[in-house]
Amino acid sequence: MSTIRPGSPTSYWLAVPAAAWMLAAVVVPTLLLLWVSFWGGRAFSTASPLTFDNYIRFFSNGAYLGLVLSTFGQAALLMAITGTLGYSIAYFLVVKLQSARWRTALFLAFVIPFWTSTLIRAIAWVPFLGVNGVINQALIFLGLTSAPIEAFLYSMAGITMAQVSLYTMLAAGPVVYMLNTIPPALREAAMTLKATPFTVWRRIIFPLTLPGVVIGQVLVFLNVMADFATVATIGGNKHALLGNLVLNFYEGSQLRFASVVAVLLMVCMLAGVALALRVVDIRKLGA
Amino acid sequence: MTQVTIAKAEAPAAAPRRAVRRLDHRTRSRITAWMLGGITLLFLLYQWLPILTLGLLSFSGPTGGTTFPMNGVSLHWYRELWDASIMNDFKPPLARSFLLALACSATTVVLAVMAAQAVRGRFRGNGLFFYLLLLGIMAPGILVGFGFALLMRLMGIELSWDTTAFVTHVTWTLPFGFLTMLAVFNRFDARLEEAALTLGASRLTTFRRVTLPIVLPGVMGAGLFGFSLSYDEYPRSLFTTGADLTLPLAVMAQLDRQLTPELYAIGTTTTAFSFIAIGIFTFAFWVLRRRVQARKP
Amino acid sequence: MPEGPLLTQLDLELRGIRKRYGSFTAVDGVSLEVGKGQFVCLLGPSGCGKTTTLRCIAGLEEPDDGDILIGGREVTGDPPWKRDIAMMFQDFALFPHMSVAKQIGFGLEMQGRPRAEIEARVREVLASFEILPLADRRPASLSGGQKQRVALARAMVTEPRILLLDEPIGALDYSLRETVMLELKLLQQRSGISFIWVTHDQNEAFSLGDLVVVMNHARIEQQGPPEEILARPRTPFVAGFVQGNNVFRGKAGAIEAGLLRIVTEVGEFLVPAGAHTAAPGALVSFSVRAERIIDQPDAAVRNRVTGRCTAVEFFGAVRRHVLELADGSLLKYDQFGALAPRFVTGQVVDLGWRAEDAVLHAP
Repeated sequence: MSTIRPGSPTSYWLAVPAAAWMLAAVVVPTLLLLWVSFWGGRAFSTASPLTFDNYIRFFSNGAYLGLVLSTFGQAALLMAITGTLGYSIAYFLVVKLQSARWRTALFLAFVIPFWTSTLIRAIAWVPFLGVNGVINQALIFLGLTSAPIEAFLYSMAGITMAQVSLYTMLAAGPVVYMLNTIPPALREAAMTLKATPFTVWRRIIFPLTLPGVVIGQVLVFLNVMADFATVATIGGNKHALLGNLVLNFYEGSQLRFASVVAVLLMVCMLAGVALALRVVDIRKLGA
Repeated sequence: MTQVTIAKAEAPAAAPRRAVRRLDHRTRSRITAWMLGGITLLFLLYQWLPILTLGLLSFSGPTGGTTFPMNGVSLHWYRELWDASIMNDFKPPLARSFLLALACSATTVVLAVMAAQAVRGRFRGNGLFFYLLLLGIMAPGILVGFGFALLMRLMGIELSWDTTAFVTHVTWTLPFGFLTMLAVFNRFDARLEEAALTLGASRLTTFRRVTLPIVLPGVMGAGLFGFSLSYDEYPRSLFTTGADLTLPLAVMAQLDRQLTPELYAIGTTTTAFSFIAIGIFTFAFWVLRRRVQARKP
Repeated sequence: MPEGPLLTQLDLELRGIRKRYGSFTAVDGVSLEVGKGQFVCLLGPSGCGKTTTLRCIAGLEEPDDGDILIGGREVTGDPPWKRDIAMMFQDFALFPHMSVAKQIGFGLEMQGRPRAEIEARVREVLASFEILPLADRRPASLSGGQKQRVALARAMVTEPRILLLDEPIGALDYSLRETVMLELKLLQQRSGISFIWVTHDQNEAFSLGDLVVVMNHARIEQQGPPEEILARPRTPFVAGFVQGNNVFRGKAGAIEAGLLRIVTEVGEFLVPAGAHTAAPGALVSFSVRAERIIDQPDAAVRNRVTGRCTAVEFFGAVRRHVLELADGSLLKYDQFGALAPRFVTGQVVDLGWRAEDAVLHAP
């Protein structure tokens, strides 16, 4: 018994506005992209014949295929770095840090930037990475290099550095959540059964945090795959991932091509999510 | 009696042995803690240093460039920002972003509470409904923005920050608010509602008088998500805003034209603005929770 | 380290264990000796330090002071995985991601036993605990009683010297507890493993323990066989905590023929003085068990009170009469066997008890 009767018409009506909103503004546009990506002919209209021409032209261009691969590569790199970093940080904050006051303070320091603009945080890396940027100034000051290194700004290294700072929180958050749900008695029970701390982690803690790890990896994967703003901010126009390609085609009014890339992006991401959902049930985390 | 004497005689001999052994596993555990702690602190430094540098450089002198040295300390770039020409005036975009964020926050709160309450009703297809809402988080902004812009174009609807951008923003903020409310309702003790219902309150009254006041801190959380996610939204805005830009778009446009400390000033301002928003919401959250808890006993 | 024959016979020895959390003292100088294969019950109200003591033995907490010896070996600074113990947790702490069989084999795996041996041993244990059909199930799908069996099997399969049990049947249905208690007692006797059983339920403690340790406010109030604690409570706390005692407080008077005269609000009583040394006028307390109260005492019974019957209760094989004494305190009078009540409520009656049935408490 609660304020809502299970299966009552009221619960349907309460769900309608949100469902309609998401259908109209997410599902329909996505299906539209799929449709447009098959449009052929000269005129851009709903009467266009459906063909595979757009896809064939896209896939016959080696440069575009390379871009697909490098986008995946970038996502994999970020997943590896933020996964390791995020797990270490989550484990430290939840398990190793004894003082509740420090835990709160460090946790806030970790989370607060997440509530500020991603764009501004990406831009904040620009003065760091330039030829005369803070990193080079520091390196020269420390005597580690005599001439400024140009490898940071307008480079994938610089983009990666910024993305790590932006997305580690996504990898760590779900792990923090899962670690908090593990009763301390489980760890203790394992220890009284003669498991050493590393074994306790490997056999008990890690398997129980695995759903959090997977969710975190999915979030990082999705964000990196679709990230074009960081790439544009730090990479200038010298580097591009799939997201930037969508934008380029869009700005060049090649809407059908933009749709093809968008669909491709969507398929990649759906495949990633589907793979992850086979491992864990996301609903358990949301609940 | 004999045992007691033996025990006493042995006690001093046992103490040093224990100290040696204790070092063993404790030190190992401490080393792990220090290593992980080091990683955490280094990352926090790594995460905060650019933000703090941005803030610092925004106060550089009139001849200061986009990096160190600052050539003095001044409010020059903030003044520049205030006296801006039409070309790079950030005030109207700021106002638009703020209004848009408020609207998104309100919409998110209402729709998220309704949606979460609906899921509590366990209607048929609520699983599908859950994933439909989750889609808003999973689907990248670039796809939603591009797709929606395309749809508007085919329907012949003009893009504008207060119509089309608002619609796409809510698809992004609503799922976060929804998940927040689901988590809140999960921890909510439904027996409180049962108590009210057995006391003769109707379902609606019970929801208004019992449920809502108790979950209000969570509602604030959903509101904060709605505000801050919309305020900082970039990819969806890029495709659906039209001619009058929101703040992130204006910032990006300025970055494309020229990187000046003025941009740092606007970055610092919006970041400070975000902090203030978080502060206000956190304070409200804290006050509300205290009020609910104070009423409990 | 000289290990005398007496020491090696002890499964566990605690010497002055002390544990503080900030300004709160959880355990304050607890000493205990547990012989081979003994069943020890740590009994006390919540927050008395019994669980902290257990966790110190397990190595989950490190005492600030004192020594812990398991099987004659100093282990005070050792981590749990180096101690010859196993533990059963209050809510069983079953690993949610492991099947029952995997769960039970975990301890053996940690000991590095070969796979074939583990499998054989797990099947054997599953069979002996009558949970063979559950082998592939996950903990979430088990009932409370099944979980309890799995947790016990998981702890016992490693054949530790000592099994620590933290309120092990507290989470079970009341109707299940009696059967489970009997099974556990038999199991303990057959296995020869020492059980240290923490509980706040005196029925559990008195029916199971070879040794009952009553704790209060971080200290041991009394330890001994259950009969002794029931018959001769050493402190007013023990007398009040254990069911069925009537506790009296008063001023000590003179000692005559080994009997101490005590002046209370409801009269003067004679209590065996024992080794009592307190000066006349000192505050003392003593107790009399409710079943030692005599109805219509004859002249030979020198301790007498008058009370008004306020309630007659009936539980199990005992009929209890509650009487209000002159100062408003309550006196319990128990009669065994399903007899009719001796008096009705409102009736004023004379009661008494023999001097030797009263127990003087330690000052």
